[in-house]
Amino acid sequence: MTSEINDMIPDATAKELILAFADDELCVGQNHSWWIAVGPFLEEDLAFTSIAQDELGHARALYSLLSDDIDLVAYGRPHSQYRSAHIAELLCHDWPSALVRHVLHDLAEEIRWTAMLDSTWLELRTVATRALAEEQFHVHHAVSLVKRLLSTSEGHMRLASVLNELAPLGREYFAGSDVGLLASGVLDASLAEQERTWMKRVEDLLDEFELDIDWGVAIPSQGREGTRSKDFSALHDEMVAVLRIDPLASW
Amino acid sequence: MITDTAIDAVRAAVASVADPEYPDLNIQQLGILEDVVADCSSIRVDLVPTIIGCPALDTIEKDVVAAARASGYEVTVRFCLAPLWTPDRISNDAREILAREYTVAIRPRNGLTKCPLCGHKALQHRSDVGATACRSVEWCPNCRNPIEVVRSRQMGER
Repeated sequence: MTSEINDMIPDATAKELILAFADDELCVGQNHSWWIAVGPFLEEDLAFTSIAQDELGHARALYSLLSDDIDLVAYGRPHSQYRSAHIAELLCHDWPSALVRHVLHDLAEEIRWTAMLDSTWLELRTVATRALAEEQFHVHHAVSLVKRLLSTSEGHMRLASVLNELAPLGREYFAGSDVGLLASGVLDASLAEQERTWMKRVEDLLDEFELDIDWGVAIPSQGREGTRSKDFSALHDEMVAVLRIDPLASW
Repeated sequence: MITDTAIDAVRAAVASVADPEYPDLNIQQLGILEDVVADCSSIRVDLVPTIIGCPALDTIEKDVVAAARASGYEVTVRFCLAPLWTPDRISNDAREILAREYTVAIRPRNGLTKCPLCGHKALQHRSDVGATACRSVEWCPNCRNPIEVVRSRQMGER
């Protein structure tokens, strides 16, 4: 038996998929960093700080597949050229929504990397392998904390409504085009399949706590089409604050 | 034409670059230095980051370029995403220094992790992340100290 791997040239659809994934990671990494020094307890403070750092690292690795000028791609585009899902942009001013977005995001992220593990786009495959090793810690952290909180009456009370509100928005993580990407081997699961896997994982997590998510009907993605949510502007201002003060700043 | 002598000289020069987080250790002892190779007409230093988002990467890159330049060579630095960095890449002498100077434990390739303070071998897991993303926090029930342990990159091993 022979198996030959040819590194493929990614087409526009593949690049758009990676750009959207990178933008999701950038927004969530930046959003997690709001909790530095103000987490509800020290362990969470440290966890969010570390995970923020990891997510920004994932964004950097994904942008590097698209451009040599990572800062320009990450920070220098007009808002309409970002492709982030609106749930990733959400500022999450309270801890329950930050935690719920964390668990929804990382369950999705794990599935997204997994679909790229055997990619014919070899650089992407390498990034996915590396990132997935880190991702397992994020999922473990988010899932175990959500379970601990849901098993108490107060935690259940405070998380249930947020889960119902945010989970349907998480479907946008799997929005966008994957036309031709299965055939060319960039992905080995379609976005629709990934979305089903994700919804099942969310349902399985919540099942033992007698929480049913009303997924509603899938709404067309706005984020992937270039429309930003109301929170994006404030998030982006924070990202580029130092760059605006001093474009040549370095560490 | 890049000679083997040049490659060896660069390797010797960059191997001693200190790690920003653990300045008593160099990048070779920590397993961050992967290889020095001839890349067309230039010399390239391949490094393996402990985690993708490590904030010390820029510092390490600058220090590597400066160390090579000090010995008379211009190099480029590439951060490789493969192979995966794991604590197994840390040398034995570095493990001792980490325990003694930083109270940081490394999981041995076989057997139980030892408390760097008292040698107790039944540490209790406390948190997946410590003061940096690459360390978790354990608790030693014998000497009653929190102990940071360099994280493995595979979940099953923690």
